[in-house]
Amino acid sequence: MTVLAGQPEVTGELDPRDPLARLGQLLDVGSIEDLKPRDSSTIHVVRGRIDGSPVIAYCSDATRVGGALGWGDAMHIVDAINRAVHDRVPVIGVWHSGGAKLTEGVLSMDGVGQMFAAMTRASGKVPQISVVLGPAAGAAAYGPALTDLVIMSETGRMFVTGPDVVRTVTGEEIDMPGLGGVEAHGKRSGVVHVTTATEQEAFTRTRRIVGMFARPGVFDLKDAADTGTDLSALLPDNPRRAYDVRVLLRELLDTDINGVVFEELQAKWAANVVIGLGRLAGRTVGVIANNPMRKGGCLDSLSAEKAARFVRLCDSFGIPLAVVVDVPGYLPGVGQEWGGVIRRGAKLLYAFAEAVVPRVTLVTRKSYGGAYIAMNSRSLGATTVLAWPAAEVAVMGAEAAVGILHRKKLAAVPESEREALRAELIAEHTRIAGGVERGMEIGVIDEVIEPAQTRHRLAEALATAPAGRGHHGNIPL
Amino acid sequence: MAEEIRAEMVANVWKVVAREGDSVTDGSEIVILESMKMEIPVVSEDGGVITKLVVNEGDVVQEGDLIAVVE
Repeated sequence: MTVLAGQPEVTGELDPRDPLARLGQLLDVGSIEDLKPRDSSTIHVVRGRIDGSPVIAYCSDATRVGGALGWGDAMHIVDAINRAVHDRVPVIGVWHSGGAKLTEGVLSMDGVGQMFAAMTRASGKVPQISVVLGPAAGAAAYGPALTDLVIMSETGRMFVTGPDVVRTVTGEEIDMPGLGGVEAHGKRSGVVHVTTATEQEAFTRTRRIVGMFARPGVFDLKDAADTGTDLSALLPDNPRRAYDVRVLLRELLDTDINGVVFEELQAKWAANVVIGLGRLAGRTVGVIANNPMRKGGCLDSLSAEKAARFVRLCDSFGIPLAVVVDVPGYLPGVGQEWGGVIRRGAKLLYAFAEAVVPRVTLVTRKSYGGAYIAMNSRSLGATTVLAWPAAEVAVMGAEAAVGILHRKKLAAVPESEREALRAELIAEHTRIAGGVERGMEIGVIDEVIEPAQTRHRLAEALATAPAGRGHHGNIPL
Repeated sequence: MAEEIRAEMVANVWKVVAREGDSVTDGSEIVILESMKMEIPVVSEDGGVITKLVVNEGDVVQEGDLIAVVE
């Protein structure tokens, strides 16, 4: 196969599951240096580079006892993580492991427990990224889950207990891919942030994501000189009509030879909110956007947790946030309430209120109620809140509010006059309660911007804010 | 493989855009739901032929209800 300049060389002679074959695809050609001499361990630890940036990487050796982790193997991972924290570089784990070594009994569990503790101590200090290429069972599943991001190829499977135990205990018939493959974790559980068709693509995506952290860049406002494109034209004419917000994000973010620079995370899970790492005017930013195409863009338990953990990830690594808001509210329903939407939605309030990175909000169409507060409002400490001219910020839509506030008044007039009165009341309500003018009056919206200036104004607001970085870990919320 | 398209939230079926037997591509609208004062298109992710379309305009769908099957 052809080897592109600057791309890692694929080693042909090794077993493809050999750590050197896998690390050879992950790291820059010729950059690999053993951190420890290769021994009989099922974990190999190296130092290397990704597009020139130093990283530490550890990799399961699936050619030995299925990559199972004993006490000594787990200690190799502990050493790798500690070294990465010391060197302040990202640490990448490549996983293909059946879990703790049964032959070692409790000893292996102690080792794995210490590995979990090391991951937790390093959380928020250095980016920890996991690449799952084969089975990652039990201990090997919780390892990646404690790290910041999990990338899984089609061949990856993660589960706490495998299909045989599931069948024995619950009688459920399911195979390994069904139980813990890309569909299960990319769409249903949200455990995995990025799924790929091949191992090679998993490495490519990992390299890009590591680059977002390792080379965050600086804002160059010349890069964000606006093209004059009216971004609001990308939205449907009818303000009630849903649309895919990613169309807007693609125009907002930088592009390079591969297209738009945006690594969407957990794309198919809790898809009513879109999160990802992108570049804006040359700088890595975290993007959080309601997606009206899914559940109308409502916030709910899952999407609040998804966004909350991402906010805390970005805050812990000093990555500024761009928050694109078009939200009709929190999703109503018994299922949501009993499912803990209060407890889980509170995580998003907490995450934003706690964050010290520059974080700018753009309200494109509407922002209602509790969801308005949760989506990085001024009250939660947003750096800047921008709005497009037609945006509406309110407790609820004017139509719904009038229906509640003026129910008696509306009922008292003859039916022939009711609609005229309703329209009048809606206009009056919008004037006193919603709309961007009122938002600006009380200071919850800083500025109304022309949609054609969005890129520039967002970048400017983020670039001129004092840099910050939260001092906390990134708990898997 | 068959793609089962289900309602993601409680909604009214506002418009049925496609019909059984229609070929759709990924991103094609099948029905438009109305909920939270929003018109929310429901699209096929994989594309194919609509073999089943089980909702009518005016129906109320609950979260998880089947709307269509695309094969």
